[in-house]
Amino acid sequence: MTEPISGDTDQRFSELLDDCVHCGFCLPTCPTHVLWGQEMDSPRGRIHLMEQMHEDDVLTQAAVGHFDNCLGCLACVSACPSGVAYDALIDHTRHKVEEQHERPVPERALRGAVFSLFPYRARLRMMRGPLRAYQATGVGRALRKSGVLDRISPTLATMERIAPPLSSPPPPLPEFVPAVGSRRARVGMLVGCVQGAFFPEVNTATARILALEGCDVVIPRSQGCCGALSGHSGRLDEAARFTRALVEVFERADVERVVVNSAGCGSSMKHMDRTLEEAGADPAWVRRARAASEKVVDLTEFLADLGPQAERHPLPVHAAYHDACHLSHGQGVTSAPRELLARIPELTVSDLPNKEICCGSAGVYNLFNPEPAAELGDRKGQDAAATGAQVLVSGNPGCSMQIGSALERAGTPMPVAHTARVLDASLRGLGTEVLLGP
Amino acid sequence: MAGSSRTPIPVVRDGTPQDTVGGLAPARVAEPSSTEELSRTLTEAAGEGRAVTLRGGGTAQDWGPPPRSLDLLVDTSRLSWIDHDPGDLVVEVGAGTPVADLYAHLAKEGQRLSYDPVRAGGTVGGAVATGASGPRRLLHGALRDLVIGMTVVRPDGVVARSGGRVVKNVAGYDLAKLHTGGHGTLGAVASVAFRLQPEPAALRLVEAEFEDRAGAERALAQVRESPVVPSAVELSAAPGTPFSLKAVLEGTPDGLRPRADRAVQAMGQHAQVHEGLPSGWGLRPTSGPLAWLSVPPAESVEAAALLGRRVGVEGCAPRGALHLSWPEGTPPAEVASVLEEARARPEWAATLVRADPGTDEAVDRWGEVPGLALMRAVKDSFDPDHRFAPGRGPGGT
Amino acid sequence: MSLAEHENAGNTGRAATADDAGTASAQRPATASPRAAAVADLVPHLRAILGEDGLLTDRSQRRTYESDGLTHHREVPGVVALPTSADQVAAVVRLCHEHGVPFVPRGAGTGLSAGALPHSDGVLLVTSRMRRILEIDIANECAVVEPGVANLDITRAAAPHGYYYAPDPSSQQVCSVGGNVAENSGGAHCLKYGFTVNHVRGLDVVTPAGDLVRLGGKAADAPGYDLIGAFVGSEGTLGVATRVVVNLTRTPEKTVTLLSAFDSMDAGGRAVSSIIGEGVLPSAIEMMDALAIEAAEAAVACDYPEGAAAVLVVELDGPTEEVDAQVAQVEHLCAQAGSFETRTASSAEERALIWKGRKSAFAAVGRISPAYIVQDGVVPRTALPEVLRRITELSADSGIRVANVFHAGDGNLHPLVLFDDAEQGAWERAEEVSAQILDLCVEHGGSITGEHGVGVDKACKMPRMYGPDDLETFDLFRRSLDPDGTANPEKLLPTPRLCGEQPGVQRDVHPLVASGHAEQF
Repeated sequence: MTEPISGDTDQRFSELLDDCVHCGFCLPTCPTHVLWGQEMDSPRGRIHLMEQMHEDDVLTQAAVGHFDNCLGCLACVSACPSGVAYDALIDHTRHKVEEQHERPVPERALRGAVFSLFPYRARLRMMRGPLRAYQATGVGRALRKSGVLDRISPTLATMERIAPPLSSPPPPLPEFVPAVGSRRARVGMLVGCVQGAFFPEVNTATARILALEGCDVVIPRSQGCCGALSGHSGRLDEAARFTRALVEVFERADVERVVVNSAGCGSSMKHMDRTLEEAGADPAWVRRARAASEKVVDLTEFLADLGPQAERHPLPVHAAYHDACHLSHGQGVTSAPRELLARIPELTVSDLPNKEICCGSAGVYNLFNPEPAAELGDRKGQDAAATGAQVLVSGNPGCSMQIGSALERAGTPMPVAHTARVLDASLRGLGTEVLLGP
Repeated sequence: MAGSSRTPIPVVRDGTPQDTVGGLAPARVAEPSSTEELSRTLTEAAGEGRAVTLRGGGTAQDWGPPPRSLDLLVDTSRLSWIDHDPGDLVVEVGAGTPVADLYAHLAKEGQRLSYDPVRAGGTVGGAVATGASGPRRLLHGALRDLVIGMTVVRPDGVVARSGGRVVKNVAGYDLAKLHTGGHGTLGAVASVAFRLQPEPAALRLVEAEFEDRAGAERALAQVRESPVVPSAVELSAAPGTPFSLKAVLEGTPDGLRPRADRAVQAMGQHAQVHEGLPSGWGLRPTSGPLAWLSVPPAESVEAAALLGRRVGVEGCAPRGALHLSWPEGTPPAEVASVLEEARARPEWAATLVRADPGTDEAVDRWGEVPGLALMRAVKDSFDPDHRFAPGRGPGGT
Repeated sequence: MSLAEHENAGNTGRAATADDAGTASAQRPATASPRAAAVADLVPHLRAILGEDGLLTDRSQRRTYESDGLTHHREVPGVVALPTSADQVAAVVRLCHEHGVPFVPRGAGTGLSAGALPHSDGVLLVTSRMRRILEIDIANECAVVEPGVANLDITRAAAPHGYYYAPDPSSQQVCSVGGNVAENSGGAHCLKYGFTVNHVRGLDVVTPAGDLVRLGGKAADAPGYDLIGAFVGSEGTLGVATRVVVNLTRTPEKTVTLLSAFDSMDAGGRAVSSIIGEGVLPSAIEMMDALAIEAAEAAVACDYPEGAAAVLVVELDGPTEEVDAQVAQVEHLCAQAGSFETRTASSAEERALIWKGRKSAFAAVGRISPAYIVQDGVVPRTALPEVLRRITELSADSGIRVANVFHAGDGNLHPLVLFDDAEQGAWERAEEVSAQILDLCVEHGGSITGEHGVGVDKACKMPRMYGPDDLETFDLFRRSLDPDGTANPEKLLPTPRLCGEQPGVQRDVHPLVASGHAEQF
């Protein structure tokens, strides 16, 4: 959806900056501007800071702070009438920050730790055991109440809070799931790091829906991280490494489309060419990445396009649909998930108030900027509760963890389910208990 | 630039008993026939330090206290001209133009100034200077909302224009707002430009009476909630009479039929529908004490119930813009007591516009005027010697 | 002082813990003007009023405030104050008053006349943190809001009760109510519903002396001079609004939006004239020309009829029966004027789609031109065809493209003069065309601004419309409330510094004067 920074990257950056006419339409949709009401924490202000950075070739401590504050939710991209490629601008800026800016030691350590954990499904999965044990003891609840963690390290507290309740892991998915009934497509499926580790049942549901709707599903075991978390944090080389690997994996899989059920991953995978270009890859690789990106499609978008084949069973439940930023703003996918949900008999869907505002999860943002993230989470929780719905539906694992924990914190717990799980329940004729609990 | 070379026409004559204002007889009366003459007259008056009061149709000379001093009365009746742009729905008129003449002129083109005068026989300048608006202000705005430009001669004789002849214009300060309702204390209005509307094809008046406050309140609320879009909802109450509501609907004959039905539903089945306005529509009594009362709109019926036992209450209920009228000869203490009762309520403001002659000492006309210090600063700038209608300004300025 | 020194003084997060008074002083060399020294001296006092978080002194942060929506004018503010309450605003303004330091109020910074252009030796007073809706009072049909509340948020809050806030400038989702008050903002629907001034019932104002004064309230017609009327549209030169009581208007029972396409601007203009002439009062009549349509299509894919040289957006609202009759009438009149396609939308979604193109048009022009100037002028509606023809000629003669988006119902033109800012001298040429368009407006008895305001941008153009006495009278009023000239100085009225030696000189005789309806001395 945005033009890549090509050729003379700096020149291109400057041109992209020039697209901004400072109309301010982005202000009300920017989560940090909503929180703090100051120019430097709005897209318009950050673009101004980028201009300063570009023109004066100086990266101020203040500016870095304001760039770091950006959640990268891309609500501003949706709101911008001039088509400013803020996504490309902030990615480039973050890369520059990582290259040129010396972060204080504790900050560096934390970033190092996060990036050695999150992009690796296997490492995340290893955390499941300890976490599950920890949750079972009830120590978590006591600790959460005490607020001790908040005082010691807000980041640790966030990690503890948002970890979803875990049951024993389902059996791993096979590498190939054949279509049920007449075969309509052959698709690849991304497992995702966080989705794969913390929400394996979403992946199971996704594979099942695709098969029930007539798709051969290819799920390469060798796939790794898509590189989104690294890319959105300016760790360009790391992102490029992940991207190349992923392109190769799905080239080998020989599929028509690559279906993604995690909004953050999908948003990033739709412009893998830009990622490689930014990282200085050779044109051949950029072309390969572009071809791969063109196949990437969000699960809901794919299903809405494909049209229903399998029977939908009634699911009498009131759901509120939360737009994950990287689905709505990042990929422009807003109607497809609502259509899919609305087509389920007896299910009603509501929108959240302030639906365009980010929930504060934003990839690893809630780990680096825990306070604003929590505040945004609280707001989103209130908006979700205001709908009076029984279940919150969202297309991104980060959002689910973030909003689920906010709702619990506010004393208004509400189950959070991925769109795929709701569809799966309807297709298989399961009751609402699957979503709502007994 | 314009005409200092022109031969001056004699515009000033001696005052006569007919020129008396609040018991003060002016030594001289000026009757300028152009803005330029008005300017010259006022420049001279400024040079001589004369106290000036303005007169249009003379229908509101008993509004406001008698001026504290009066040397020169400026009669605007020869400043009478109409410049109408029907295609642009705009008219500019001389201040001395009778309102009735303007309306007759506009009617020929199927247009109107959507303003109900509150006095008969007045001039445009007088209407603007007193600023009071009648019932249809509800939909079309008060008189201040219809003025798009104004030429004023300042107390020092300088001619100043603000606004213009286009309906949309934000260049410069909107000084016409200060002069609208300024009672001629900041300068002499020479001409005014207004925005106009096409005359609606038809009109219905839906009228109902209510014995109790609750009934009137309910009916008013239901009219407001209904989508009939009334141009006016006039409330009245007086000692010994029931509450009355009169809603005016304007539009096409076809559209009005169902709208009137819905207004009847909202106001109660006993409501009656008329096809025209009653005579004297919007006019306020011409004698006896008269006061403006402004209240939060939700308290209009309450105001009518509370004060209507002692005084006539009438006005635009959904705007909370009411007036109080007493019979001539009402003891000033009674008038003062009603005003005090009203002023005791939060956010209510009551201003005595007209008192019986000789009773001024007994009544506080203004009560508290928020922003008075700023108003005084404005007055001091425009009329530093306080020569223009001294004592008629806000808070007795 | 070097940039690096500034930068080191900066902070990392949102909190403006930045540099201290010492640094601010250090930014001012010994040769600084007395005023400049005063701003630096204010910093500790300002910090005491606003707290660490409420004051920005770091240069890179202050620079993000250097312009409002009109980016051609830039000035880095001395300091930026982010008050959260009326008391803080009053304290800051009082401080400025005592020290003779200028202050400039700013809302969302969306203004298009540089009315919020900061003062390099002054305080920029930003209301963006005063954004609470204090009350939605349906019984009294009003809302009480802080000045930083976005215009559209009032409507959002009132909508569940069946009400809305009528003034709707095209930046309504962003622009602040305080800014609307300062600029007397209109919008597409002011044809029927009027401007901000017609919808403000009460104001709390911090005067240039720093006094907090309440004018009006929930009741209409406050006694005395109509100061609210004069304050609205005063562009921040008479003080800062800190609390606003606005009218809420009942949501019309029915609203229908028509989109009518024509193969010439003239044909569209004829339709406008006949609609108004027939006595229909639409809530809005908007017109766009081919270039503006192209831009809107590029930005938001609004799907306007193909091949249209002009589109008219007409909105009708009111009681169902009246609207239905008017829709038929307007459809007929458009067809008569030569429309080749008319779409009628009554659902909110369909209407939004029609409006999307119109509302995005300004910013959308960024898609078809590297840069552009948005002009804002008014002509009597009957002069529209002639003035549009003259604009076309101007464009042809100068080779500079002009896109037209305008409120046709009230003659408010918004020509968008396109140019390439990378090209040497292009801005100057575009600016010349833009100024000539304004001259056209004045020539036809119109105004140099219908809704964007005068600000800095048009201060020097005021003499084209008003005579020296008119301007002196404006100034007399201004000085009555701001004798020291600290409130948003050098805006709204021409000054010798901005406009040269003879600010009062009028280039053209105003038609009113020429026709003898107004006189000048």
